[in-house]
Amino acid sequence: MSKKADPKKVRYEVQWERFGYAMISPSMIFLILVATLPLVSLLIMSFFRIDLTYPLDNGWVGFENYLEMAKDERFWYSIKLTAIYTISTVFLQVAVGLALAMAFFRGFRGQGVMRVSVLLPMILAPVVVGLAWRTLILTPEYGILDYVSILLGFGSKPWLVAPTWAMISVIIIHTWQWTPFAFLVFLASLNAMPQEPLEAALLDTRSAWQRFRYIILPMLQPAIIIVVIFRTMIALRAFAAIFSATGGGPGTATEILNLYAYRVSFNSLDLGYGAALGTVLLLITVGISLFFFRMRRSSTG
Amino acid sequence: MTPYGQKSNRVKWIGAPVKYVLFTVMMLTWAFPVIWVILTSFKARTDIFTLPPRIFFNPTVEHYIEAFVRSSDIARGTLNSILVATATTVLTLLVAVPAGYAFSRVTFRFRNQLSFFALMTQMAPPIGLIIPYFFILSRTGMLDSYTGLIAIHMTLTVPFCIWLMITYFQDLPVSLEESAAIDGASPFAAFFRVVLPSTWGGVGVTAIFAFIESWNEFLYAVVLTGSRTKTVPVAIFSFLTTEESLWGPFTATGVTIMAPVIVVALFAQRQMIKGMTLGATKG
Amino acid sequence: MAGVILKAVFKTFGKTTAIKNFSLEIDDGEFVVLVGPSGCGKSTMLRLIAGLETASSGEIYIGDQLVNEVHPRDRDISMVFQNYALYPRMTVYENMSFSLRMRKIPKAEIERIVRQTADLLRIGQLLDRKPGQLSGGQRQRVALGRSIVRNPQVFLFDEPLSNLDAKLRIAMRAELLLLHQRLKTTIIYVTHDQLEAMTMGNRIVVMKDGLIQQVDAPDAVYDQPLNRFVAGFIGSPTMNFIDCRVVSEKGDLYATTPGIRLKIPESHARHAEKYIDQEAILGIRPEHLTVSTNNRHLDAADRFKAVVRVIENAGSEKLVHIRNENDTLVARLERHIRLKTEETVDFTARMDSAHLFDKQTEHTIF
Repeated sequence: MSKKADPKKVRYEVQWERFGYAMISPSMIFLILVATLPLVSLLIMSFFRIDLTYPLDNGWVGFENYLEMAKDERFWYSIKLTAIYTISTVFLQVAVGLALAMAFFRGFRGQGVMRVSVLLPMILAPVVVGLAWRTLILTPEYGILDYVSILLGFGSKPWLVAPTWAMISVIIIHTWQWTPFAFLVFLASLNAMPQEPLEAALLDTRSAWQRFRYIILPMLQPAIIIVVIFRTMIALRAFAAIFSATGGGPGTATEILNLYAYRVSFNSLDLGYGAALGTVLLLITVGISLFFFRMRRSSTG
Repeated sequence: MTPYGQKSNRVKWIGAPVKYVLFTVMMLTWAFPVIWVILTSFKARTDIFTLPPRIFFNPTVEHYIEAFVRSSDIARGTLNSILVATATTVLTLLVAVPAGYAFSRVTFRFRNQLSFFALMTQMAPPIGLIIPYFFILSRTGMLDSYTGLIAIHMTLTVPFCIWLMITYFQDLPVSLEESAAIDGASPFAAFFRVVLPSTWGGVGVTAIFAFIESWNEFLYAVVLTGSRTKTVPVAIFSFLTTEESLWGPFTATGVTIMAPVIVVALFAQRQMIKGMTLGATKG
Repeated sequence: MAGVILKAVFKTFGKTTAIKNFSLEIDDGEFVVLVGPSGCGKSTMLRLIAGLETASSGEIYIGDQLVNEVHPRDRDISMVFQNYALYPRMTVYENMSFSLRMRKIPKAEIERIVRQTADLLRIGQLLDRKPGQLSGGQRQRVALGRSIVRNPQVFLFDEPLSNLDAKLRIAMRAELLLLHQRLKTTIIYVTHDQLEAMTMGNRIVVMKDGLIQQVDAPDAVYDQPLNRFVAGFIGSPTMNFIDCRVVSEKGDLYATTPGIRLKIPESHARHAEKYIDQEAILGIRPEHLTVSTNNRHLDAADRFKAVVRVIENAGSEKLVHIRNENDTLVARLERHIRLKTEETVDFTARMDSAHLFDKQTEHTIF
């Protein structure tokens, strides 16, 4: 009818839908251009040989990069390190964060001071964190932690120079930086919890452990799942703190997949193989996040 | 008083001192490295390497002078960082705030798919993004350019800020816009005159996070920047080479990087923590 | 000013149907209340009239214009929301003038209208405040003022009083009625509170599950409910419902339970005839139960014995919960009547005011 001809006279819902597209398109176009297209390029690059140090042989190689990867012990070692790094840091963050949240929830004074001190590690540059740990904290004798270790009679430790110790150190650094997140989320969920079940639990349970195990833990489950998801994704992106603390070394002792791909791409300038490693990392990340989405959907019903 | 009734007195009596010891240990664990960096940056060269470590000393700003005056890298890097982080923040807000609003309010086709897409973008591993970026930018002669760095920083900030803004917009009642529509306002007018003025706080927190993300970013910067656009997190490495370890200028630069973040955290800690944990506690 | 005509309106959201075949003619200047339990579709209907949602089928007229496809701003309506939806960062003056500014009305004219409306609502001294600085009642007035300034053809009210405390709610009820008498604009008012509906509307539309149950003046809805739902929804305390059996004895009809036997008045008997020897539901309002005054006619046909279980003293009256066999009833008694719990008392039911409902369809028999 005549009303439809006049563009100013549209229904409210139609007007809103158009408005929505107008508001959404800049960001979507932007993300497609600067994120999706590069990721597609990554996939394509992984089928090429792109060695900037020796460009003569560059060209299409099909699956050769992937076949090479299958035989590459350094790659499998980096996968193993990535798994160890991710699982241990996420586990430590949840465990320590949960313990601290349980200790401090419910009318604890000094939360303001606490807030700043736990917020800081999360928002400081990972580079500064990594470098500060490498120098001020873990340097033999003069580093604070090493100094304390000597004072307590444990002696100086090869924090960043012995392979196993280096791995432990980077795990400690990551845990130090990110446990506050788990702690704050758990604290917030504990504070948001309805009080009645907790009070009822005082009558129904015998010990604090039972209360924790049968009442609080089930109520915290959604928060724990969220924390595990967030922290896993962040652990899989870890780079700057390790790079600045150990550079992936000694040797390849802390060379998680990110660092390996970096070294291949930007130290050896073998971008084709680097792209193949990046693609594997992308697939791992997508796979894990899809798994988490499923898990979360089934747990929230 | 407490729901624990009589029992609580006993629990508190034993528990409180333990709690405060634990509290102190926890605070020290997290705050100490930061404090130590700050202290070290003001120590004279001779005070840095002492055993036992010195807590009291004559403060000096020699390392700051050395970092900023003797090495042009740091001064330039700081200016670059300010430029890149500011541009990233402004551009991010320009695209992310409208998108967050649309996602939180408008039911259009493919909304779920698009928001999932935005979320997945955030999950993309940085190393997977930087390899094609480096390749494409080197081919187009755009390495060491501000544009390239700002664009890739926005791949980090835009999805996160969309997601954060969604949670802020969801706190506003829908009836505000409905009322505005009945009053004769177009959706754009309602957005600018009614919605946005009520969400400045959320926009502010979002801006803080975008700025910090870009300000702290290292991997992209170390690959894409050169002598012209090098940001300060990259420049700081020059003090810690295999040949020498200049703790003084390093910590002075470290404090420079941390200072704006610490200042913001002191003022907006409550809002920032809320922003960080919002998605997690809301489910 | 204008009336509103709704013709066979349906609204579906995905698989659920929120509004089913809603037809209603609202006269110009009428005060109509849509009432029903939450989820009955009353708010959806209001939003359809406002144009915030679009009807799936059917026609909506405001005045003589078909408005199905018309944008809310062009419908010449205004709406007061439950949460008031005051623009938080604007002053009261800016809130009230917003719609006029959007319509590019001259400044001086806006100023005049806003001041006049503010005086009418006695909020003239609040014009420079922000909504956050106002009390609940003041916000309510500002929301009212914002909708009045435009002098719309129809006011839509979506539970406007439910965020106020009880005392203020009663005061605002009267004030809204005065306002309506003065402005004479059509009002469509949504509430879940049956008392609010009874006190305010010229006509009440009782809704349930998206369907109109009854449209009538308040007294008619109260005295002649069309079905058991309306009978139970309107009135507080709610009507007593007793599963009974209709029996015929010596030409008279009785509603009987194991412990109660009440004679159906002759005026109603012919409606009940086809239910003889069948189950039905007897409905008696609490105020239609009284303590029998003398014992001469113990076997009188409108009496039954019951045990007093609980006595609620409401000050001006007493609500007495009584029990006969398996039936629990509530009687609303005058305050001076003294009863003791567990006492067995003889009650009289005013059967000419009682109702009988079909057990299957729940329609009113009489």
